[in-house]
Amino acid sequence: PCRAQPKKKKKVDVKKEQAQKDRMKKKIRKLEKAAPEMIPIEDFITPLKYSDSNRVRSLPALSFEETERRVLLMKKWCLFKQNQDKAEKAAIQALIEAQQEALKELRLESEELYQAAIRRDEELFPFERDGPNYTPPLLGYDPPEGKCVDITKVYTQ
Amino acid sequence: TAAAPRPWRLFGAMCLLRLPRITQPLEKEEEEMAALMGQIELEKSQYSDHEIRKLEEEEKLRRRKESMYDDDEAPGKTVIMAQDLEDKWEQKLLQFKPAPRVTDADKNNNRTSLNRKLDRNLMLLVKQKIGNQELWLLPQVEWQPGETLRSTAERAMATFLGDHIQAKILGNAPYGIYKYKFPRAIRTEDNVGAKVFFFKAFLQSDDLSQAELKKDYLWVTKDELGDYLKSEYLKKVNRFLLD
Repeated sequence: PCRAQPKKKKKVDVKKEQAQKDRMKKKIRKLEKAAPEMIPIEDFITPLKYSDSNRVRSLPALSFEETERRVLLMKKWCLFKQNQDKAEKAAIQALIEAQQEALKELRLESEELYQAAIRRDEELFPFERDGPNYTPPLLGYDPPEGKCVDITKVYTQ
Repeated sequence: TAAAPRPWRLFGAMCLLRLPRITQPLEKEEEEMAALMGQIELEKSQYSDHEIRKLEEEEKLRRRKESMYDDDEAPGKTVIMAQDLEDKWEQKLLQFKPAPRVTDADKNNNRTSLNRKLDRNLMLLVKQKIGNQELWLLPQVEWQPGETLRSTAERAMATFLGDHIQAKILGNAPYGIYKYKFPRAIRTEDNVGAKVFFFKAFLQSDDLSQAELKKDYLWVTKDELGDYLKSEYLKKVNRFLLD
């Protein structure tokens, strides 16, 4: 009995340890196979404090004339934007035509100048420009001092 | 080149544009639409923290006036109300004076200044001698063999504005062409006429104090071009100008 028992313990222990390791490995594999957690988009989740009923605005209901006016204005806007878009497209088309004509004339003149002209300009892009503001810059303006602390939450997958 | 020399002389001209620095005024429909959008947004929105604070404080004030008993707060303490904050912000806004959208150069109609018409594109016109006439043109220079037309245009810009110009030329290809035949007096077999190729560039820097501007120059918008350019030339130039 004294000789047999320690041998059994070793075998059983080894087997138990191996079984445990296998179980752990299976769990790890399962976790890895599961899809990675999505990073929550904070803009799409309304915080709960904004669903209180006392937050709802109390305004007078819209009159019939007001709704009529709005619908007519939307239609006018639709037409305005359509005309604006057509005009823009026509202008761009005219630009392209003028350029094609110029290139045709250039080709008649000399082939090498033409080839130089239709080569791609590498320095053009990336093209950066600050857009126009509402008022021009004020000379000698001293903007007030302040510190900006960035509190955006950064998620890692 | 093996081909016979063409009888057309080549010129490269540069149309230098100063891009607008302020936004154009809104059209009537755009203004009405903007107002409508603001109204709809207000209707669909809910009260913000600031507004709720304001409403609660108005309630408290009203209740305190109706019944003359002290609330939890001792009368000695001064409490900043939301309305006071709003008044303070309003005062601060009124103290700030932004730069005017219509500048002095606009009022004097000083066409040589770059500060005019800040919401439109301005382009450079110079007075050049062609044949025996002094004409207002986009700066142009004759093409020399061995250089591309783009470098001719750059040279034209440098001749009239000096070397320290920061301009972004939009591509290697010309944007437009003006072809004209010389008057019969100077026309020969080899020299029938000239072709002027136009290139466009955007002016990057606003300050041209470094530029040595020789002779007469003007910065004009597309509508004012008609005052200075000849009709045929103007027609061709208008084709490649957006406004």
